[in-house]
Amino acid sequence: MDFLGYERPDGQAGIRNWIGVISAMDNINPITRAICNSVEGTIPITTLFVRGQFGKDLEIAFDTLGGMGRNPNLAGALVIGLEEHSTGQIADRIANTGKPVETMVLQQTGGSIQSTALGMEKATKLVLEVSNQRRQKFPASMLTLGVECGGSDTTSGLASNPAIGRAADRLVDDGGTVIISETSEFLGAEDLFAERAVDDSVKQSFLDRVLGHEKRSMERGLDIRGANPVPDNIKGGLSTIEEKALGAMSKAGTRPLVGILDYGETPVHKGMHFMATPAPAVESMTAFASSGCQMITFSTGVGNLIGNMVSPTIKVSGNPQTVKKMDLNIDYDVCAILEEGRSITEVGDELYDYILEVGSGTRVSSEILNQRETAISRFEPSI
Amino acid sequence: MTRAILLNSSDNVATLIDDGTSKDTCALQGEGSGNVELAKDIPFGHKVAVLDIEPGGEIIKYGQVIGLAVESIPKGQHAHVHNIESRRGRGDKQD
Repeated sequence: MDFLGYERPDGQAGIRNWIGVISAMDNINPITRAICNSVEGTIPITTLFVRGQFGKDLEIAFDTLGGMGRNPNLAGALVIGLEEHSTGQIADRIANTGKPVETMVLQQTGGSIQSTALGMEKATKLVLEVSNQRRQKFPASMLTLGVECGGSDTTSGLASNPAIGRAADRLVDDGGTVIISETSEFLGAEDLFAERAVDDSVKQSFLDRVLGHEKRSMERGLDIRGANPVPDNIKGGLSTIEEKALGAMSKAGTRPLVGILDYGETPVHKGMHFMATPAPAVESMTAFASSGCQMITFSTGVGNLIGNMVSPTIKVSGNPQTVKKMDLNIDYDVCAILEEGRSITEVGDELYDYILEVGSGTRVSSEILNQRETAISRFEPSI
Repeated sequence: MTRAILLNSSDNVATLIDDGTSKDTCALQGEGSGNVELAKDIPFGHKVAVLDIEPGGEIIKYGQVIGLAVESIPKGQHAHVHNIESRRGRGDKQD
């Protein structure tokens, strides 16, 4: 199977042709947003932290912002910082893709009015420069798909997740790459999933992530229920994390687990991967975008509208009440699985066709309605 | 008629795919068949016990243990957070 994408200098294929305007720090976000509000063809990539971070957290922040800049959906990037060091750290991580990267440092360019004007000028030139690119045919094997769920209920495990799982299997069979994340959502399903590992080292690495995550959660002395499943999951019928995990896991299909990734890390192999991330969707999808996912499928039961800024996010639901209530926010309706008894294979195959259409330019609701957010996970407190 | 899906033949709970009202006859689909009379109102997406479950007994869905019964859950009863507890991530139960 094929899709129509944009060729990048590093050999990757993007499904969008955006210029990313990237904040190198939290204190830059207002300028980043002002530029993007005025220059069509740009997307704002913001961060809530960086100032004052150090060690592992700072590395993750730089790697994730740089990773989003490297994502093939961006044709180029403008990195804006308060000072030279952080700006350079992020720009350097993007530059070796061969894509155009511009920088701007506020302590040199001046106040918000001068800096916004200069940023608009730089962004406009970048958008013009990349607008001569045209879509061309690429094999599905060049796609990396992130599989996410949020606002889950019992229909997620019965319909939308298994349909996504079928589509994920199709992509893996076509030579592509799929990533599932959300470490806590394997509690109670980890042994079943671990059986899919290609070797003992992948299996052990996966189990270590899940059990280590549970241990850190338990150190707080609280029942995880309430945080996962969250109250709206419980209202939707999910009783325990084990029940949620068994349903969530089905969005990863059935193919072998070939690799384990850290937060935002880019896979080096094709096939099914697990990435260790916190469960909240915005944080998890930010890591997908950093890892190079061109697209995300997002299964929802009781409803969650959010999408990722860089990776167009396909909202899939099998809950008829949600599809009716949230109408234009749901891109793909799989209610026929429970309502009409249609087979998961058949519905999942159709979903796979739709995924490739989105890869070729069909727009999804979170892009059109701008239901998009970025949040880089932090693992240590600020100092 | 109210419908519920049994996902695995070894499951002792089924998931409603309609809103159910007390005394409704609920028809089992999927890996189960026959009917269960609902003991109370059970919303869309929630679970009904299809067998009598003892206190401390395993709750089985997808053919897997999803938790333990904190009290007796008779056939037809709503099975949810009020009578099922999780075995995982229980920082509150550590010494």
